[in-house]
Amino acid sequence: MGKHEIRMRRQRLTARGTDRFKNYGAVLKQHEEEKRMKKIVRVFVFFLLIALVIILIMMVNRWEKKAGKGSGKVQKEVRIRNLEIRT
Amino acid sequence: MSEAEIRKEQEVIERSRKDPKAFGEIYETYFDRIYNYLFRQTDDEELAGDLCSQTFVNALNHLGKYEFRGFPFSAWLYKIAGNEVNKHYRKNKGKKVFSIEELKVKELVEQSDEGWDEELITQVINYMNELPTDMVQVLELRFFEDKDFKEIAFILDMTESGAKMRTYRALDKLRTQFNIKVKYNG
Repeated sequence: MGKHEIRMRRQRLTARGTDRFKNYGAVLKQHEEEKRMKKIVRVFVFFLLIALVIILIMMVNRWEKKAGKGSGKVQKEVRIRNLEIRT
Repeated sequence: MSEAEIRKEQEVIERSRKDPKAFGEIYETYFDRIYNYLFRQTDDEELAGDLCSQTFVNALNHLGKYEFRGFPFSAWLYKIAGNEVNKHYRKNKGKKVFSIEELKVKELVEQSDEGWDEELITQVINYMNELPTDMVQVLELRFFEDKDFKEIAFILDMTESGAKMRTYRALDKLRTQFNIKVKYNG
């Protein structure tokens, strides 16, 4: 058997039968709602991205500060040792 | 559809991009055709109604992306409708249904009224059940929706020659297997 099923219909489709499904007002309303949702999602994603960038910048800054402090200690130690040798 | 009609339709589309209310004209023009197309692929009035509404909502949502390619706007609507049907069947894991009018099959096959019996109808149904789904889709658009091959290729995302080949193969099989005359050559 195939992936589809063929059904034979004796009656013709009429335009009258489709009238009860015709409602452009509802289509327009759904379109407006989906458009609004899309905007909300876009704004949310935009702020989320900004927040991520800010967090990333803060993390890099902290890491730089930490790295800066660490290298300063080593320099001081070297200087002290140099002084000890001279004396 | 004449050149002038297509141009007029494009004007309505342009207006609809700015004012969705203008799209109502397109909705009124194509609702029945798209509904019937969906009904033929679902055999369920309520479902066809829902999918039809969703088709027009999607068309409105993506109207900005629509590009005129020389076809009537309906080709784009058929494409969206086809995608909606496929999405429905994928989601529900059901078997795709093609509900075909007996009269249309009689129009396609040249057979006298006396020669047209229940057995032959059953045979044609069985034959179409065995065909690959994409072949049935092409036949449906060609014979039940009266689309030309260029439009079918656009709707089903295939080449024009591919659409032609599928139709000819299906018709050839129909001719040889049942020894009946098919009115149409492709």
